[in-house]
This record gives sequence, structure tokens and C-alpha cells, in this order.
Amino acid sequence: MEEVQLIAGLRAKDRKTTEYLYDKYSRALFAVISRIVFDKDIAEEVFHDAFVKITKKIDHYEESKGRLYTWMANICRNSAIDKLRSKEISQSGKTNTIDDFVYGMESQSGTQEHIDGIGVKELLIELNEDQKFIVEYIYFKGYTHSEVSEEFDIPLGTVKSRVRAAIQVLKKNVARI
Amino acid sequence: MDIQSYISSGKLELFLLGELTEREREEVIDFAKRYPEIQQELDDLQETMFAFDNMTGVAPSQEVKEKIFSTLESDFILKEVPKPTAVPADAKVVPIGSPWKPFAIAASIAAIVASGAAFYYAGKYEERNDQFTALLQDQSVMADNLNQVKQEYDQKDSQLDKMIAGDFKRVVMKGEGFDMQKDARVDVLWDQNAQEVFIAVNNLNDLSDEFDYQLWAIGDDGPVGIGLVNSGEKLTLQQMEAVAQAGAFAITIEPKGGSKAPTLEKLVVLGEVA
Repeated sequence: MEEVQLIAGLRAKDRKTTEYLYDKYSRALFAVISRIVFDKDIAEEVFHDAFVKITKKIDHYEESKGRLYTWMANICRNSAIDKLRSKEISQSGKTNTIDDFVYGMESQSGTQEHIDGIGVKELLIELNEDQKFIVEYIYFKGYTHSEVSEEFDIPLGTVKSRVRAAIQVLKKNVARI
Repeated sequence: MDIQSYISSGKLELFLLGELTEREREEVIDFAKRYPEIQQELDDLQETMFAFDNMTGVAPSQEVKEKIFSTLESDFILKEVPKPTAVPADAKVVPIGSPWKPFAIAASIAAIVASGAAFYYAGKYEERNDQFTALLQDQSVMADNLNQVKQEYDQKDSQLDKMIAGDFKRVVMKGEGFDMQKDARVDVLWDQNAQEVFIAVNNLNDLSDEFDYQLWAIGDDGPVGIGLVNSGEKLTLQQMEAVAQAGAFAITIEPKGGSKAPTLEKLVVLGEVA
């Protein structure tokens, strides 16, 4: 289904289109949430609310501001960050790191759908220390780039160029695997 | 505008992460429309972000899917073919009689005046639109400049940090006593613990294109070249290569790109470490 059709179907509140959207994107969107919110039950709760929000707010989506997926991923990311910063989770004191994530993926692979755990590991481990740090804080801990800059005393320009460098490495690896 | 440096600034990534201010966002959208390279890069990045998420993800459980669709149940619209409503057969057609004529003429005149006004304002709109585009361009130039200034500032700031935090020794190198340039003076700032060396050119003649000034650290193992000196940059700090041990610093004139060993006949300045 073309993205234009997909958006039109969602705006028309069509059930089939919504199911298609779910099947195509739920895994990626859930990944965005579960790398920030580590607890599976809470992550699923956040995902439920975010997905419902996406279908209800589809009229606010503007094509000029990016692809549908990017818009949805940002809704999921923001919902996850909100949840992470709410008292509910911060009291449990869990923090996410890339290593937790990779380890978590491996231990789940027996019960969940099959995942190429080694590929994922490679995808992340090819990053150098600076890039790993940036990916960890921005992708896994939900920091904004200015928060990273302030908290760790790294010039904003440097944070920006490291974000770019990190995503370039991911791009290369994604294409390779 | 330098499109490549815009692309490599990291701004597009932040745009996709939803981290730019409203104004910066508009700028990216505007540039993406005008420069296909920028649009292409945005597309590539979005592909990558989706692929990365999809590859690293685990599907949520079946229960969540059921719960979501039961929450949404009431929102779905069942497609029903609307019944066509028939036009009533006895609809009356009102003939246009003479009493309407003056109104018809008045309406035509109003329409002509309105069209004239529309053309006039369309022209005005075009003019404003051009002005607006010109302003946007000015703004992007200013943003580029600001970015450059910021980078310079960051660099100076980190130099200043080093100067304050480090234990720098000043070694003054002078041209007195040599034939090349009697009034030449270059200062070396050396932090022996951190092994960092900066120089500040105070007075040094410009060289022709086939030569370079080269800085030497003279230690127990003889002179070691630790970088080329830019004589044009006066009184700013230039960082040189690391030095752990030196009894003196000197600058010679060497063929472009520097030499392995110093040309002693062309020794310009020398300063001993106190």
C-alpha cells in the first residue's frame, strides 16, 4: 500500500488500513518504546496509548514534515520519555544501556519471534565510544541533544556532529546486514 | 549556500528526531523543497531509522494488539453506500423576469471590479513573496555565519580551558643573533605534564609559496619537527604536536611541507626552556 493511500485510509477511519498500519509498523514502533522503557508490561501499555493516539491524531499529521513513520516514531518516543520521567518508573531506578538492550534481546529470542541477535549486536558494536555514548543517551535514555550537551559538558556542535556520525554508521550497517 | 555542509551539520537528524525549534523546522522543510540533495538525504535517513528500529525490535504481544483494536472499535467507520436521494419531481423553475435585470447588471459590474482587484492583489502578493524568499535566504546565510562563529567560539573556549587548567610554561623565541629576521618573535606555550604545545606568532615575515616555517623541539635526541607554523595568524594560539621533553624550541624555513631535519642556515628564531 502506498503511503498516500495509507494516510487517506487512516483519515477515513478504515479498519483494514489500521490493521495494515499495525502489521507493518508495530514492531519498529514498539522497539522505539521498549529501548527507553525497559519493563515489558509498561512498554506495552505505553505502546497501546501511543498507537491509539496516532490513529486519533492522524489529521494533525503533515506530509511536508516528514514520512508517516517518522511522525509516529516521535509520538512513541515522546510517550516513552514522558513515562520514563513520571514518578512511576523513576522510582524503580532502572536505566537502559545498549548492553542491557543487546543482552535483553538475546535472552528473549528463545520465546519471542526469531531475531537475528548477532546482527543487532554488530549493528551497535561497530560504533566508536563517542557514538555509542550518543546513541545510548539519545536513543535509549531519551535525552535531547541539548540535555546531553548540558549534562556532559559537550559543545552543542559536537553533539550534533556525533549524532550524525552515529546514524551514518547505523546506515552503513543496516545496508550491509 | 553550501548544501553539503548543511547536510553534514547534523541538523537533518535532529529534525527527524523532532528536536528543532519551529523556525529551524520551517527552514529544513523549505530547503528540502528547494534542494533535491537535502530531500534525498532526509529520505535516506528516514529509511535508516525505520530499518534500524525494525531490525532491533520485538513484536508486541498479541494481547496488546487485541486491546488496541477493541479500544479503537467505536472509531471505525463502517463503509455503507449512501442511498441516493431523489430529486423531487415537482421542483419549480423560476423564470428570470424583467424585475431581476438591474440586479444582474449591478452584479456583473461588481464581478468586473472584483476581478480587477484580484489581479492587483495577485501582483502585490507575488512581490511580497519574492521579498519573503529573499529574507529567508538572508536568514540562512546568517545562520551559517552564526554556526561558524559558534564553532570558532567553542574552539577558543576549549583553548582557554586548557590554558587555565594546564601548567603552561612560556618560552620566548627571538630572532636576535641570527641573520634571517632580527626582529622576529614567536612564543611557545608548553605544558610539560600534558605534553601540549601551542604557539603564538608575534612577528614573523610572510614567506613565498614554496616555503614553510617549521617548529622544532630540541631535546636529548636532537631536533624533532612538531608542525608547520602559520605566519599569517598573528597572536592566536596554534596547537602543535605533543612534546614530552625539550631543552629549546626553534623555527627554521623549510621547503613547502617541512623537512625531516632542520636547515640550520635558515634558523629564524630560537628560545631556550628556562
